[in-house]
Amino acid sequence: MMRIASRLLALISGMLMIAIGARPATSPRRGGILRVEMRVAAVSLDPREWKSGTMEASTDEKLGALVFDRLVTLDNYGRFQPQLATEWLHDAAFKRWQFSLRTNVKFSNGTALNAADVVAALQALLPEGQQISAVGNNVVIQSAGALPDLLEELASGRFFVYRVQPDGTLMGTGPFFVGEPAGDSNSAVSTSGVGKTTHLRFRANEDTWSGRPFVDAIEVTLGVLPLRQLFDLQLGKADLVELSPELVRRATQENLRVWSSAPVNFYGLRFDDAQVVAADPKVREAVSLSLDRQTMANVLLQRQAEPASALLPQWLSGYAFLFTMETNIERAKEIRATLPANVAAGAEPLRLRVDAPGDLAKLLGERVAVNARQATISVQVVNRAAPKSANTATTASSDSASGVHLFAWHYSSLSPRVELESMVTAFKFGDSREAAVSSSDPEQLYAREKKLLEERRVLPLVALPEYVGLSQNVRDWMPARWGEWHLADVWLDIPEPVATIGNANSAETPQTQPSVAPPGAKP
Amino acid sequence: MSFRTKLLLVVLLTIFASVSVVAYGVTHYTQAAFESMDAERTEALVAQFKKEFAQRGDEIARQAKNVADANFTEKMAIDLSHPNADLSLYFRDANGAAQDHGLDFAEFVKYDGVLVSSAQYPARVGYKNDWVTSVKEWNDTPAFLRKEELSDGVALSLTVVRTNSTVADKSLYVVAGRRMDQNFLASLVLPAGMRALIYTNLEPTFSAASLLADKIDAEQAERFAPLVEQLQKQPQPMVRTIEWTRDPADAETFHAIPLMGRSNELLGVFFVGSSRKELVLLTRQILKIAAAVAAAALLIGMLVSFWVSARITKPVEELAEGARRVAGGRWDTRIDVHGNDEIGQLAEAFNEMTQTLEAQKERLVQTERVAAWRELARRLAHELRNPLFPMQITVENLQKARQLDAKQFLEVFHESTATLRAELANLNTIVSRFSDFSKMPAPQFVRVNVNEALRNAVRLFEPQFNEVGKPTITPELFLTEPLPDIDADPDLLHRAFQNLVLNALDAMPAGGTLTLKTSENDGNVRIEVADTGKGLTPEECSRLFTPYYTTKLQGTGLGLAIVQSVVSDHHGTISVTSDEGRGTAFRIDLPQRQAGHAAPAREAVTEPNSTPPTMAAASG
Repeated sequence: MMRIASRLLALISGMLMIAIGARPATSPRRGGILRVEMRVAAVSLDPREWKSGTMEASTDEKLGALVFDRLVTLDNYGRFQPQLATEWLHDAAFKRWQFSLRTNVKFSNGTALNAADVVAALQALLPEGQQISAVGNNVVIQSAGALPDLLEELASGRFFVYRVQPDGTLMGTGPFFVGEPAGDSNSAVSTSGVGKTTHLRFRANEDTWSGRPFVDAIEVTLGVLPLRQLFDLQLGKADLVELSPELVRRATQENLRVWSSAPVNFYGLRFDDAQVVAADPKVREAVSLSLDRQTMANVLLQRQAEPASALLPQWLSGYAFLFTMETNIERAKEIRATLPANVAAGAEPLRLRVDAPGDLAKLLGERVAVNARQATISVQVVNRAAPKSANTATTASSDSASGVHLFAWHYSSLSPRVELESMVTAFKFGDSREAAVSSSDPEQLYAREKKLLEERRVLPLVALPEYVGLSQNVRDWMPARWGEWHLADVWLDIPEPVATIGNANSAETPQTQPSVAPPGAKP
Repeated sequence: MSFRTKLLLVVLLTIFASVSVVAYGVTHYTQAAFESMDAERTEALVAQFKKEFAQRGDEIARQAKNVADANFTEKMAIDLSHPNADLSLYFRDANGAAQDHGLDFAEFVKYDGVLVSSAQYPARVGYKNDWVTSVKEWNDTPAFLRKEELSDGVALSLTVVRTNSTVADKSLYVVAGRRMDQNFLASLVLPAGMRALIYTNLEPTFSAASLLADKIDAEQAERFAPLVEQLQKQPQPMVRTIEWTRDPADAETFHAIPLMGRSNELLGVFFVGSSRKELVLLTRQILKIAAAVAAAALLIGMLVSFWVSARITKPVEELAEGARRVAGGRWDTRIDVHGNDEIGQLAEAFNEMTQTLEAQKERLVQTERVAAWRELARRLAHELRNPLFPMQITVENLQKARQLDAKQFLEVFHESTATLRAELANLNTIVSRFSDFSKMPAPQFVRVNVNEALRNAVRLFEPQFNEVGKPTITPELFLTEPLPDIDADPDLLHRAFQNLVLNALDAMPAGGTLTLKTSENDGNVRIEVADTGKGLTPEECSRLFTPYYTTKLQGTGLGLAIVQSVVSDHHGTISVTSDEGRGTAFRIDLPQRQAGHAAPAREAVTEPNSTPPTMAAASG
């Protein structure tokens, strides 16, 4: 506990140092284009399409936050701050919540936000059982059950307020809106043939309620490989890049600015009954005992990850430290020796399918196989797109039924209850007949998670933060520790007069601009 | 087959055999030369493989040495010598080393065998590689083959281990390697018609995917399975030919060289394939040329030998024709004599022989004629003497009776005149018989049923078969029905059959079986008459048809002469076979049709009453 607390303190101190102390304090400047590079090849700016927990949703949320606002937000000190809602109150049972909306808020096209817009937007996003209605300039959310963590829920994830335009596109009230790409006034999205990158340009919303952002625009390049991002950052071609964990050490050694979030990405194994061998609890126990999470986190991921022993991270649940994951090869071998003949003697190995994208997930999958082999359990790794080569005789076809899946999960909700149930729902852990936890009581959540872990249908592996590389020009970089960027606060410290967007006489009329990426932005 | 044909065939066969022998010889020596060349090429390729293998190993060793001597490796060695060293600091270093030095495989192994960094299988970092620490001195060890474990299977690696000994007793091992794959094969310079393959023997059973080569599908790869399995049992170089299709030109000869690991385990097989297409096409070309040469030689040989054999065989053919004419009775045959060689001498000898034969025949005819006259005179004398002797006695008695009284004289006179008259009648009969034989009529041909004629002849003698007081003679008739009619004179035929039956009856005084058979034989009608008498000697047989020759006490010797005369007049043949003590058989073959005679319709053969009984009596 002391260790976790000291780490958290160091993290906060670090962020403060980055924000205020790294360079001589200067007055924030307006203007400039913030160049951002991201790994994903496509994004969606429609919160209705986002799938909770996916890595893609993480990027979607980051870019969505440029265009849309939530009712409330959470600051780095754990305090809820007003956004589109200025006040809120609830009944004693936490079943009825009323939010007073901020006045004079305008969408990017200049039209005013009203309660009906909020109701229409959130109605599509709220889970079943929660009703939302407009009462004057207020919106009311009611539920048959208690909603003690509704603010956490609304302050994170996809709960953005938007308006659907007649053409089906969405617009928001956020500090930016999707503008035309450089050299192309007809489309907000352009695709480069080299490396199949996609460019998105977000332009500053002059009339946003929170005040005009410092930068004139944010140019986002999608589909940039991690190493390329690092090079671009070094060469000054990008101001802000996503750093993959394996490059963090290198970036640090090369004196680049690196920021890391709290562990928001989770890697784990989940078993299903597609293979007989995977359905056996003893096999799951033996596999669990064989896993060497310390080496995974400290060697394979070069100390850029934490061994995970719980489904929810400590910063989210507060009780994760209560869980431990034992590594005991000898015990695993003993269990393996007691397996029934149809499971142990079967010629079919346990197939592990790496569902998560990226080399990191593949590396973890291979390590799981190596660990399991130590316990005399044969595990065959199946990649999502296994290359067909002459020497892949032992690699099973990706079409074969796999008993184990290596999955990745991105924590997107600030409500541990919502996050846990989203995970359970997405992967169907545990007994489906068991009711979901309705309370945010930590004890109930702990019991629920403990039961899930004891079943060993899901085995935590590691949890990783998100890493961001920053150029020296980026100032006032103050993201949320759970990974949400606040790019409206960022300004660029560029001595020369910065380029402005478009022509001097091209004062945007936001009403005429599309507010979100048109269809095709995400294949 | 004529001599000329034989000669022709012999010449042709000789030419064919000569061409075949030459073609075989050329093919054989060409094949041997090709095999020798192929073996040399294979040897060169294997040598090139070994050289390339060694060069590649040296290159890897250099790279491994460079990595081991690099500053960062020294730093790593120093860091890792400390207890609780942070392995994560070097997790990616093997990858960088592999990329920088163009290696497929690179690993750093700590002094205690723990894998620090792995380019090819990073997931194994932290585990021990005991095989690395099992060798004390790696720096002088050349490259060796190794089964490299990868995340997606196994690979064959040409591996070198070098050490960094910056920290004494805590060496850092650098394991470097390159994959033995198609890139390696691509580096070999292959002569036309040859190819190289590598089988990575890393799976427990044969795997077609483990056969690395250009342009080889799974089905073809499977054909290597028996060869690989044999090598797995007995890893030593061997040669096999694989026939890809039924066409021998598609066959390929593979020299297999086992590739062994450090522990002498079979890790791979290097195959050098040599197409047999060139050899087969060359052989086919030689055979085609040989066939063309043989055909031309046979044609020319046939023409030449035809001409030569014609020149050689013409005198021989003339000789043969002359011999045939001589055999046909033309003793005056002479042939032309060409040259003075053996054939000419043979022709001269032939002419002399026919000349001599003709003279001898003339002499023989004259001798026979004299003998015949003598025999005739003897018979005549004998025949005439029989009645003359009683006549002489009677005349002498009559002279003596002149002294008797008239009554007695008259009585003697009457007796004597009666005797004289009787003997004169005998003389007359004898003369008539000789006269009849000399006056045998020319046959008048009509269609005659031989079976009927035979039955009629037998029927004539039926009373004599069972004559009281005499031994019984049993006639047995085996007559083929239907038997074609023949052109014959029925009366003459009847006389001939009658004489034969009578002759048989005379031959069986003690009784026996008379057998008569008819049959159709090769366009002729065959008649056989056999008895079970005492038989004849060969000498008797040879003289049997001579007129006036008889073996009987009472006989003129004209019966069988008449039979022969009748048969001869009908253009037939007669022969006799006899076993002494078992009987005699006569065989007559008569042609069905007589040339130049349009025989009238069949005449009913009746028993001729006009047959003079004397003929029967005179036979024998």
